[in-house]
Amino acid sequence: MAAPSRRDYQNVPAVDLDDDDDDDLIDPDDADLNTFDDPLNQRTTGGTSHTTTNTTTAPPLTGSIGSTTSRQQASSWTSRIPGEDRTSASSATASTIDESVWATLRRDLLAVWRKLLEVLYPRHLFAAWGGPDSLRGAYASLRSGGFAGAREELAGLAGRVMDAESLLGTGSGGNVGNAGGELVGAGGGLRDWDLWGPLVFCLLLSTLLCLQSREQQREVVFSGVFAMVWVGMAVVTVQIKLLGGNISFAQSICVIGYTLFPLVIAALLSALKLHWIARIPVYLVLVAWSMAAGVSILGGSGVVKNRVGLAVYPLFVFYLGLGCLCFIS
Amino acid sequence: MEQPQATPGSLTWRLSSHPITLLTFLGFRISSLLVYLFGLLFTDNLVMIFIITILLLAADFYYLKNIVGRRLVGLRWWNEVDASTGDSHWVFESSEPGTKIINPTDSRFFWIAIYTQPVFWVLLALVAVLTFKFIWLPLVAIALVLTITNTLAFSRCDKFSQASNLAGSAFSGGNLAGSIASNMVGRFFTR
Repeated sequence: MAAPSRRDYQNVPAVDLDDDDDDDLIDPDDADLNTFDDPLNQRTTGGTSHTTTNTTTAPPLTGSIGSTTSRQQASSWTSRIPGEDRTSASSATASTIDESVWATLRRDLLAVWRKLLEVLYPRHLFAAWGGPDSLRGAYASLRSGGFAGAREELAGLAGRVMDAESLLGTGSGGNVGNAGGELVGAGGGLRDWDLWGPLVFCLLLSTLLCLQSREQQREVVFSGVFAMVWVGMAVVTVQIKLLGGNISFAQSICVIGYTLFPLVIAALLSALKLHWIARIPVYLVLVAWSMAAGVSILGGSGVVKNRVGLAVYPLFVFYLGLGCLCFIS
Repeated sequence: MEQPQATPGSLTWRLSSHPITLLTFLGFRISSLLVYLFGLLFTDNLVMIFIITILLLAADFYYLKNIVGRRLVGLRWWNEVDASTGDSHWVFESSEPGTKIINPTDSRFFWIAIYTQPVFWVLLALVAVLTFKFIWLPLVAIALVLTITNTLAFSRCDKFSQASNLAGSAFSGGNLAGSIASNMVGRFFTR
């Protein structure tokens, strides 16, 4: 006890004094004076820096009352938070605690952009589906033939998405684990979750949808869509967790939030008063796109080995519901 | 108590060693409250106020977590996910004492701001409930979650207990803050 408490004194002179007192309380009754650490000596080492004007007997009681109680209070309710303590000198990430503001901002913006790319280009899915050639084919026909031409292509894709289990599971046996490694590794970028995507896309979706509603209903539409998105994300996440997926709650929210991006495009088209006939194919494509991104990321992470379809079905309902909202608004 | 706070690191931004960081931080903190409280005086658009307040809160959360804590008091926290199991755990980092010189003015500002903000939002939540303005409750709930998360996490980080040295001074500062708060609440009621 003596050595660590002395070291502590150098750091927190005002605090550990009463720890010392506690030690005295639990010392065995039959111990004689020689078995104790020299308390007077310790107290003076702790106390001199602390209140030089006091007599040597007084320091443990005076001057530290306010700080010791607050420390005890603080440690009682914050030490229960599970987690790991680090000091920057001893950790591997020491280099980033003194970096400039711009470095931090740039790193985080790049992280957001990487996650968005993951949604724009659901590569795990396409990799499992038939390699980059057929993917390029789909994109090429999307560009050349317009939406009508690409519709069959992506409708076919959506059909396969429904069969996601065979797609990701049997399509290539090693692919699930492989893609999982990629997801959580440096390539996937979704290991380090953030909530910017869910927040921004949710706000955009609610705002765009409420723009077209009647004046009196605006607030209701906004809060309704806002609540629906968050509740929907929570429900889908809980379902994935209950199916035994090895993904954390916040990670799942992050993934679902970022995959809302195609639906934001749908809401934007609605806000721009796209004709309702044109909406049908376009919105189907956009929902399928969201779905593809969701399956690519969630399925690729090896969430639930044999139940990808089951885990992803509520996600499909969620996207479809939001797509319908965009359609009717 | 031999900490330099005895020589008053008084609450003026001129004594700060990161004045821009500090002022931006206080700006985010205060502006989210101001927009929430007084935004409706300037526009009738509830949705607009909601969005601006949420964006300000999010910006404040991010800025406090990743930049202000690091620069002003050398504390930081984040979440790490275990790749194989999907378990996440929290990491609380503090700079080794002595390696980083922490300006007493900065750290006083920091801890006062970090502890008073949740109090304001709790008061506003009570006001929203008592005046039956339930449409604001989701916003207040989000604000509470964001601010309290930061408060708890930074208290947890602070294992070298800079905050406890500041507890007394924070209380004396709290009187001023409290009078501002009661003013704001009063104006909220009369609206």
